[in-house]
Amino acid sequence: MAVAQTAKRKKKRDWYRLGFIALFLLPALAILGTFMFYPIKETFRLSFMRSSGFGEEIYVGWRNYQRIFASPEFRQGFVNVFKWAFWSVAIQIPLAFFIAFTCVNFRTRIIGRLRGVYYLSNVLPSAITAMLGVFIFSPTSGVIKTFAKTTGWKWLESIDWLGNPKLAFWSLFALATWAYIGFGIIYLMANIEQIPTEIREAALIDGATQWQYAWRVVIPYVSYAIRVQAILATVGSIKLFDLPYMVTLGGPRNATVTLGITLYREAFLNWQYGRGAAIGVVIFLICLVITIFQFSFVNDHSATDHSI
Amino acid sequence: MRRKKVSQYTEEFEAPKSQRRLSVSSVLVHIALILLALIVISPLIIPFFFTFKTPLEFAYNPWGLPEKLRWSNFEQAWKMVRIGEGLRNSLQVCIGAVLFTVPPAAMAGYIFAFYRSRVTNVLFYVVMAGFFVPVHMVLIPLYQFSTKIGITNTFPGVFLPIAAFGIPFWTIIYRSFYSGLPKDMVEAGRIDGAGHFTVFMRIIFPMAKPATVLAVLLSFMGGWSDFIIGLIMLSSQSKFTMQLRISQFIGNLGANYFPQYAAGVIISSLPTIILYLIFHKYIIQGTTLAGAIKG
Repeated sequence: MAVAQTAKRKKKRDWYRLGFIALFLLPALAILGTFMFYPIKETFRLSFMRSSGFGEEIYVGWRNYQRIFASPEFRQGFVNVFKWAFWSVAIQIPLAFFIAFTCVNFRTRIIGRLRGVYYLSNVLPSAITAMLGVFIFSPTSGVIKTFAKTTGWKWLESIDWLGNPKLAFWSLFALATWAYIGFGIIYLMANIEQIPTEIREAALIDGATQWQYAWRVVIPYVSYAIRVQAILATVGSIKLFDLPYMVTLGGPRNATVTLGITLYREAFLNWQYGRGAAIGVVIFLICLVITIFQFSFVNDHSATDHSI
Repeated sequence: MRRKKVSQYTEEFEAPKSQRRLSVSSVLVHIALILLALIVISPLIIPFFFTFKTPLEFAYNPWGLPEKLRWSNFEQAWKMVRIGEGLRNSLQVCIGAVLFTVPPAAMAGYIFAFYRSRVTNVLFYVVMAGFFVPVHMVLIPLYQFSTKIGITNTFPGVFLPIAAFGIPFWTIIYRSFYSGLPKDMVEAGRIDGAGHFTVFMRIIFPMAKPATVLAVLLSFMGGWSDFIIGLIMLSSQSKFTMQLRISQFIGNLGANYFPQYAAGVIISSLPTIILYLIFHKYIIQGTTLAGAIKG
C-alpha cells in the first residue's frame, strides 16, 4: 500500500520535475537555437545558393566554393591568416612565456606592480586598439613620424608603416601582439604558479640556474598550457577581423586582408550572400578541425593539466 | 619564508659566486620587464603629451610640456565621437547582454549539474559545442532573419546574438561551480519541502555568487567590446555603440588634427581603463577560467 503510494507520488512528481527542467533550459536553448544553431544551418544552406538577399535563391551546387577559391583576394586572405597564425605562435608564445616565468620567479616589489600592467592592453576593445595603431603608425603625424621629425632621422621618417604592402602586415602584427599577449601571459602565469615550490627548491639546490630551471622543469611542466595557447592563437588568427578591418580595411593591395574581411566584403558590400556563406563555412571547418585536433591531445595529457 | 630557505642553502654551497650571478640576471630581468611594461603602457600615455596643444604648437614642440592646459581638443573630440550618445547606446547593449546571458546560463547550468540524465547530458554537449563556433558562421543568416523579424537597427538585435555567444561559456562555468557545491544542501532543502524552484532561488543561486559576479562583469565587458555584430546590425548613426563611433572617428579624422585625435584616444579608452582598474582581479580570474575551458 505504502509502496504503491510513493510510486504514484513519484510518477506525479516526475511530470512536475520534467516541466521544471524544460522551463529552466528554455531561455538558454531558445536564445542559442535562434541566434546560433539556426543561423549555422542557414549558412550551410546558403553556401550552395546564389542569393543576394532580395529575390529568389537559386541552387548552384559547389559553384560558390569554386568561385571563392579561385578569387585572389580570398587566397591572399587564406595565406595571410596562416602566416599570421605561424608568427603568433613563434613570437607571442615565447615572449608571453618569458614575461610569465620571470614575473612568477623573480618576486620583487617592482615586478609585483608590473604584473597588472601587462594585461591592460588585452581588455581594451579592438576599436581602441585600432585607434592606437593609427595613432602610432599614421603617415602624416603618427607617433613614430613625429619622433622621426624631432630626431631628424630621415630613414625613419620615410617609412610608410601602413601604406607599404610589405610593411602593413607587420605593423598590424606588432599591434596585435601588443593587444593580445596579455592573455597568454596571464594564462601561462596561472599555470606556472601551480608548480609546487618544492620542485623549484629542489632544482635550485641541485645547482640549476634559473634558465636551466625554466628550460628543463617549467617548460615540460606547462607544455600542455603552451599547446593550448598555440591552438588559441591559431584559431584567433583564422577569425581575425576587427583590427585589420579598422586600421587598413584589408589594404594596401590586400596585404592585410583576412578571411573575415573577405566574408564581410562579399556579403555586405557585394551582396553575394552565397559566396559570403561559403567563406563562413570554410572558416568554420578550419576552426572545427583545429578544435578536434586539440581535443585529441587533451585526453593524452589531462594528467598534466593543472589549470582546471 | 621558503625563499629564505633557498638562499640559505645556496650560501652553504657557493655563496658569493651564485649570488652575484643571480643578481646580474635579476637586474637584466628587471630592465627587460620594465621596458616591456613601458611598451605596453606608452600608447596610452603618449596622447597626453599631444592633446593639450594647438596644431602649430604640436608641429614645433610635440614632446615638450604644453604652454597651458587647453581643453578645447577634448571638447571637439567629444562632439565628434558623440560620446554621450555612444555611451548611452553601449550601456543599453551591455545591460541587455548581461540580462540575456547570466540568468539563462545560471538556470541551464543548474539543470546540467543537478538533473543529470541522458537527455540533459546530450543537451549539455550541444550547448558546449556553441562555445567553439566562430561568429563568422552566423553573420549572414543573422542579418537576413533579423531584417525579416524587424530587429536590425535595434539594441536587442545586437545584444541577443552577443548573449547567444556568451551563454555556452557561462553555462559551463555555472555547471562546474554548482557541481562543487555540497549535494547535501540540495537534499536538505528538498526534505524540508522546498520545491525545485525554491531550492534554486533560495539555496543554489545565492551560493553561486562568485560565479555570478564574474559572469555579470565579463558579459558586460563582452557587450562593451563587441564590434562585428554591431557593425552588421546597426545602420543609423544615432544607434551606434561606442566601438562603432570610435571606428568612425578613426576613418573620418584620420590623423590630420593630431592633438584632437589624441584627445579622442584618451576619452575613448578611459571607460575601459577605469573598469579595469576597479575590477582587474575579477577580469583576470575570468580570463584564466576561459583559458582553462578552452584547453
